[in-house]
Amino acid sequence: MNAYTQVLFKNRRSNETVLLPEYEKSGGYQGLRAAMKMTPAEVCELIKGSGLRGRGGAGFPTGIKWSFFPADQPGDKYLVCNGDEMEPGTYKDRQLLLADPHQLIEGMAIASYALQTQIGYIFLRYAYEDCFQRVERAIEEAVEVGYLGKNILGSGFDVELHVHGSAGRYILGEETSQLNGLEGRRPNPRSKPPFPAQRGLFGRPTNVNNVETLATVPHILTHGTAWFQNLALNPESAGTKLFGLSGHLNRPECFELPLGITLREVVEDFGGGVRGGKKFKACLPGGASTPYLTADHLDVMMDFNPLEEVESRLGTAGVTVFDEDTCMVAVTRNLNQFFARESCGWCTPCRDGLATISWLLDRIEFGQATNDDLAMLKDQVKNIKGRSFCALAEGAMGPVEALLRLFEDEIKDHIRKGCCPFASN
Amino acid sequence: MVNLTIDGKQVTVSKAATIYEAAKEAGVHIPVLCYAKKLLPYGACRVCLVEVEQMKGRLIPSCTTPVSEGMVVITTSDEIKKVRKTVMEFLLVNHVLDCPVCDKGGECDLQDLTYELGATSNRFEGEKFDLPTDEVNPLIERNMNRCVLCGKCVRVCDEIVGYGSYSFINRGFETKIATAYDRGLDCEFCGQCLSMCPVGALLPRPFKFKARPWQLKEVDSVCGYCGNGCTVTLGVKDHKVETIRFNDKIGVNDGNLCVRGRFGYSYVNHEDRLTKPLVRKNGELVEADWDEALQAVADGLSKAQQGQGVGILSGARLTNEELYLLKQVAKVVGTENLDHSGGECYKGVTEGLKGALGVAASTATFPQIEKTNVILAIRSDFYETHPVVGMVVNQAIRRNGAKLAIVADKKGKLDKLPGAKTLLSKPGLELDVLNAMARLLLDEGLAQTEGIEGLEDLKTALADFEPSQVAERTGVDLETLQATARQLAGAENSAILMAYGLPYQGLNKELATAAANLALLVGIPGREGSGLYLCGEKSNSQGAIDLGILPQNAGKGAQQMLDAAAEGKLDGLYVVAEDPLSSYPDRDKVAKAFDKVPFLVVQDLFLSPTAEQADVVLPAASFAEKDGTFTNAERRIQRVRPGIPSPGEARTDGAIFSALANKLGSTVTFTGPAAIFAEIGKDTKAYAEFNFNEIGPQGVVWGGEVLQPVCKKVVAVSGGSSVKGDFQLVTGSALYHSGTVSTKAKGPMAVLSEPYLELSREDAKALSVVDGDLVKVAGNGTELKLKVKVGNRLPKGVVFAPYHFAEANVNRLYKGEPVIAVTVSK
Repeated sequence: MNAYTQVLFKNRRSNETVLLPEYEKSGGYQGLRAAMKMTPAEVCELIKGSGLRGRGGAGFPTGIKWSFFPADQPGDKYLVCNGDEMEPGTYKDRQLLLADPHQLIEGMAIASYALQTQIGYIFLRYAYEDCFQRVERAIEEAVEVGYLGKNILGSGFDVELHVHGSAGRYILGEETSQLNGLEGRRPNPRSKPPFPAQRGLFGRPTNVNNVETLATVPHILTHGTAWFQNLALNPESAGTKLFGLSGHLNRPECFELPLGITLREVVEDFGGGVRGGKKFKACLPGGASTPYLTADHLDVMMDFNPLEEVESRLGTAGVTVFDEDTCMVAVTRNLNQFFARESCGWCTPCRDGLATISWLLDRIEFGQATNDDLAMLKDQVKNIKGRSFCALAEGAMGPVEALLRLFEDEIKDHIRKGCCPFASN
Repeated sequence: MVNLTIDGKQVTVSKAATIYEAAKEAGVHIPVLCYAKKLLPYGACRVCLVEVEQMKGRLIPSCTTPVSEGMVVITTSDEIKKVRKTVMEFLLVNHVLDCPVCDKGGECDLQDLTYELGATSNRFEGEKFDLPTDEVNPLIERNMNRCVLCGKCVRVCDEIVGYGSYSFINRGFETKIATAYDRGLDCEFCGQCLSMCPVGALLPRPFKFKARPWQLKEVDSVCGYCGNGCTVTLGVKDHKVETIRFNDKIGVNDGNLCVRGRFGYSYVNHEDRLTKPLVRKNGELVEADWDEALQAVADGLSKAQQGQGVGILSGARLTNEELYLLKQVAKVVGTENLDHSGGECYKGVTEGLKGALGVAASTATFPQIEKTNVILAIRSDFYETHPVVGMVVNQAIRRNGAKLAIVADKKGKLDKLPGAKTLLSKPGLELDVLNAMARLLLDEGLAQTEGIEGLEDLKTALADFEPSQVAERTGVDLETLQATARQLAGAENSAILMAYGLPYQGLNKELATAAANLALLVGIPGREGSGLYLCGEKSNSQGAIDLGILPQNAGKGAQQMLDAAAEGKLDGLYVVAEDPLSSYPDRDKVAKAFDKVPFLVVQDLFLSPTAEQADVVLPAASFAEKDGTFTNAERRIQRVRPGIPSPGEARTDGAIFSALANKLGSTVTFTGPAAIFAEIGKDTKAYAEFNFNEIGPQGVVWGGEVLQPVCKKVVAVSGGSSVKGDFQLVTGSALYHSGTVSTKAKGPMAVLSEPYLELSREDAKALSVVDGDLVKVAGNGTELKLKVKVGNRLPKGVVFAPYHFAEANVNRLYKGEPVIAVTVSK
């Protein structure tokens, strides 16, 4: 039923993982072969020209990130694949790794060549044991035939990949925390500058990319940038994206869809519409740290820039849908509890500020709040956003801000009634 | 350099500076909480946020953001004020605010910032923390309810001390600072964390409820323990040193101190301090007045000098000015028998370095160690004897990636530093390892030989030190030995460190000579940024050498004096600031000497075992009661200042010497330390260029930051020898103590209160003993009983005993050898 071109999910079958022979038959490792015929700088240029943007949430152009990397610097350099998929409502990397893990291995081999890193780490979420096994097996297969290891494809270039299981905290998804975690330290974020490209893992230049980003790279090498750009429905964008649907939908599943598809199509055609015939009230378009969209946004294109124009973000494209009976204060409170708990506790605005947001949302939800509390909530968002050490608190403010912007009446209803208006439902 | 604008002011600063540092330089105040000068940038508290025109849209942490050309910074705006105030509100939601009973009240950063930022009320509510106080240890109290999570304690313990006692634990709002398994602090109690804590979460227990900070008079002085010469600031109230204050603004140590410096001061307040002179009458020591006592000393010494002569033994904890006066006393008495610190341990400097380099001192200053690429430590005890230099080594490694190798017979704290390589040698053979390294440098053509004398002789002498043979003989790993020598040769800058002191009597000259050879062959002496460091055990060990408290002309050295006295060939001994019975090797000989000598004068703080034997005991002043100078192990002359009056009638050693010289008929009088310091310059030329009153908070370094050698001469030294026996005993310093004085100090005693015999796990298992069991240690014709301490520092067959405790009699076993064959049994 998905008529759109499948790239990452081309070989996906339920309950089965693609092994090397099948991957090769479907064009696997052609991208790596193509890359090895180019210079590292040419590979970077190609990725830059493709318009590929990071799939981990921030949407930073991958080629530009790579072009900042000091590939010529002698000594150890590292590539890290961020597979610490812990954003609530996000599970696309898991689907990708379970379906066809060689795409990631090939992508990392290409990236290692382009960035001239010799060692790569795949940092996987604590709970992803199933992915861990599959990725390890894929690495073994690739080493055996010479796609990884010493002198890959006879090029004289070495690539060594390791899988590292996370200790299991949300903050490890932040790239500098992840580097601390990889080093065996407490995963506090590091201050930037220096950026990981200058001083990253073990103090050496390090490039960190998301699983989906790296897995997309081989296809660009194989099919070219024009093909990649044509995949998107939005002419200003490029490529497909994995959308992980969840929430009050009839079909909460993961789909590979072109960037630029409308939210309506995602929800109605792919998600099968809202469960129980109810109305669509709102959604998180890309994980727990993205501001809500409402029914007014159903015709907005699910893509980086169009979503920013409506004050939200594409994030990880983990779409969580809420039906008309959902209390958005309760949703926000729940999300904020997550962020407050997962704060690394280092900087004051995040550690103590998120706790005060939780305190205020509790008061609103349980009908103890006054209009002063609402005013304080509005003020607090400003005191936290852009003040914290890393992006965690900033992300946590996404839903809170959207709650204030889109559902202020609902908050006022709580205050006026002295209880949650949805409580009886 | 980079130009930027801060609040409209044009500032030019180094491109390595942060916005905060640039503002400070421009005189613009930015409030900070988690920032500390000596720690790496952190940026967690968010109090120092500023606006940068080029980075609009968010506020920028000034303490972590480097400056860039053309930056326009605004440090105060309504928005910034509000953010800072909110941060204070956040912090104050759960803070216990028990300021009236908090010792930090009055010098608390949280109080100051709350006041400064006008956080007079709080819009938020929350529960106050109610965590139990950690009072497991006797020195540092941790009250985590007052913690603001700035992380300074975690960072200083990791970045500077290298111990790693603390870590953040838990997430989010539950985050707190904890020790391993949250079981309470159990560390070496240097108290660096205390000095960094901006609030009352970490407090020195001995100072609890003793004084409000503003009631303390602060007196900057120098620590009276080791040759590191750390600046200490005495916190004085009611003529009593109540605490040692934190001061990173002056001095040589960046405010760093060890357990002795921070908690070891209490001996100056000890109730056992001598307060009146004592004179022996009818076999009993009875109190006397000064005139009587001094007359007795003058008469006794004169009489003895007319007989078989007088010997003077001094400690190295007197000021330079006092040592000068002591020398004058020796002249007036007419004796050439003058010596200090047991007479052997410093010969690495006075004979080893003097012979090779023509100078008798370390060739560079301590801060240079931080910038070196390769560090070679001889004996693992350096961190134990000179903990604050150890911290510099730690920073060289952690911040600048220096490589550290240690040639030693046991492991120590140094060996735990990241990447440290230990060349673990059989006791007594460290010398051979150094020789083998010199041989390797010459064999492989890595040595810098230009302008170096004595090469041919050295080459001949090194015939027996082929590295692989030495490796086999000493048990050192050959590859590590080779790699270390090659690293030293290839390093842009390197440092060689060796500590000396009373417990290290054997092979000092030889080890120092071999170290000097090595240093010369890799071009260390005289090179900017590199250094050969020989560091004395006592606060003025270097001063005693500079001032020449050494045998004069044909005079006897310390051991010869004791020999002569034991044989009944010396008629008087004047012992100043030393307790030879407790700390000199061969206690039996020392006892015999004191027994036989007809006239014994002891001048000290306490009625030490030696003083109990004396005919006259003179009560002296501690470092906290003195005005003068100490010269530390890097040749830095620093001011010692009096913070308190001496107890009772105790006088400074200088005052006693002056009065005694006058009693003995000298007409020379000195009017205070400044005048004496000027006199010192006449004899000790290196001191002549300085004026006492112009010695600033950083002190002055004679010979300059890099001391140029007078000659460059490699000198052949033969190898050491090992001993055969069931066990090999080595003696030395324990981290918590220094000499014997620290056994009178509450701090070090609280941590380490008793003597012990340390042995390896293997040996403990074989003997079936555990910590605290008594064992018999026999050797050198003596048998002692010591408590067992099992550790992982020692190789099988080697045992260690610290020498600080008089009652342990370790110096009856130990007679000055580098290593002693002993048997150990249950």
